[in-house]
Amino acid sequence: MPHLEISDLITVTDPLSGARMPVRRGDVVRRLDEAGDPRAARIVAGLPAGPDDVLDPLAVDRLMIGVHTELQRLSEELRIGERLVHVLDPLFEAIREIAGRRGRFRLVDIGSGLGYLVRWLASTGALGPNVELIGVDLDAALVAEADRLARAEGLDCRFVHGNAFDLPEIATVYVSTGVLHHFRGPALAEFFEAQADSQALAFCHFDIAATRLAPVGAWMFHRARMRHPLGRHDGVVSARRAHSDETLLRAATVPGIRPLLYEPKGLSNPFCTTLRPVLGIRPYLEDPLRQALGRSSRRLVGAEHLTRGGPPRHDAASWSASGAASGAGR
Amino acid sequence: MNPVLPLAALGLVDAAFSGFRAYAGRDARIRKHRAVLRASLRGLAVGAVLLLAPALTAGAVLLLAEDTDRAYGVLADGGTGFLVPIGAYALAVGLSLAAYFALPYRASTLSMVVGLGPLTLARPLVVAGACAGALVAGGGWTSLLVGVVAGAAVLCVEPYVHRRWYAFPV
Ligand SMILES: C[S@@+](CC[C@H](N)C(=O)[O-])C[C@H]1O[C@@H](n2cnc3c(N)ncnc32)[C@H](O)[C@@H]1O
Repeated sequence: MPHLEISDLITVTDPLSGARMPVRRGDVVRRLDEAGDPRAARIVAGLPAGPDDVLDPLAVDRLMIGVHTELQRLSEELRIGERLVHVLDPLFEAIREIAGRRGRFRLVDIGSGLGYLVRWLASTGALGPNVELIGVDLDAALVAEADRLARAEGLDCRFVHGNAFDLPEIATVYVSTGVLHHFRGPALAEFFEAQADSQALAFCHFDIAATRLAPVGAWMFHRARMRHPLGRHDGVVSARRAHSDETLLRAATVPGIRPLLYEPKGLSNPFCTTLRPVLGIRPYLEDPLRQALGRSSRRLVGAEHLTRGGPPRHDAASWSASGAASGAGR
Repeated sequence: MNPVLPLAALGLVDAAFSGFRAYAGRDARIRKHRAVLRASLRGLAVGAVLLLAPALTAGAVLLLAEDTDRAYGVLADGGTGFLVPIGAYALAVGLSLAAYFALPYRASTLSMVVGLGPLTLARPLVVAGACAGALVAGGGWTSLLVGVVAGAAVLCVEPYVHRRWYAFPV
């Protein structure tokens, strides 16, 4: 049975035009029922719709903004900003070393939602003054709200309506938090490929660590901290949909990119690791990045790490091949 | 030991935290120290009013008792029994909070995920445990009554503040 997130089903944007598509409540309820999730179906059945059974777009926008505002609380409490800066700061140090100290760099957060990460980075100046901060999201209402919040606090960052697969903004580094699990099957590799094909020097995508504890922890934490049933539901489903280390590294193995995982399973305490990133860097950045990370660089591993202790659970042959290919690119 | 003062202090501290929780998740701004302070003060004010209910209940029990001294002694015993689970809970919350603020982000996450999150969920259970503690300590039905009223009062602060001031995102 597929695990479906309600938020993916009730907000549908045409990826080409960016236009909002009408969504029939009955269709969503049926899909959730068919996926064996009657609780989610009940939540959607309770959402307001017009006489044509199309979900009220304004009500859906308000709901999504409310749920994302609650979601931000989790990011705040789990100190997601610091977790990212722990990796991004050395990454920018490595980039500065190669590109020159005076360069102007750009960080683009894909699927930025309400833009907490970008606004937090702007507010704290954690990455230094020469990094421009931009958030991109497919949901126009979230983009507008992120922009409003940034203006209200006079933060130096901006938000753009756009699609992760057709990125409107070039970047030095692409990042995301909690977005990877939305991309399934070939879409995950396409997501990384789009960035590898751009001028970006690196990507660094944080998502829920796929541990056995993740769904239990997500249930507990969302239950304790979030009020809306939609947020609680999707929070747990996200943890169930988290990609394994193998899947992430395999998908990030694209030409011209050295794929790396920070804090993979086995190298990290599952209680402490809520989100952790898959990185893709231009191969010449690896040594400076490891130097900048210092002792923490032992937490940064490539595909060869997964093969060393015996064949990984899936696709041992393709693993060795892709590991060798990325190793050859170094 | 008279348990009234520590119980009142814990009740008020809990009310301030309840005020914070009623607000948290409703404001997506980054800098919000003043808003956090305001929400905590709202919780404190609401808690101070609601905690009059157990105080009045205890007062009524004493007024109606034939032997006031004995009734006072029974309530004091019950209060001490009520305090033990609450005190243990407060200690666990205090340690988790200290760890959350003092430790680096990884350990801080741990104290949030295994400490503060589940501890919030456990509040009704802790109140129930405290009521049982009051009975076990020999507080009788009068302590149970005061304990139930006190428990209901502290558990009501968060939903009330939330509905009154934070029904919609800020
Ligand atoms: C779980 S939310 C995470 C939001 C935010 N990064 C955070 O950590 O709070 C996933 C976000 O990805 C966005 N998203 C999903 N698919 C997308 C796509 N193809 N392009 C851009 N954004 C997308 C959604 O609109 C949503 O805001």
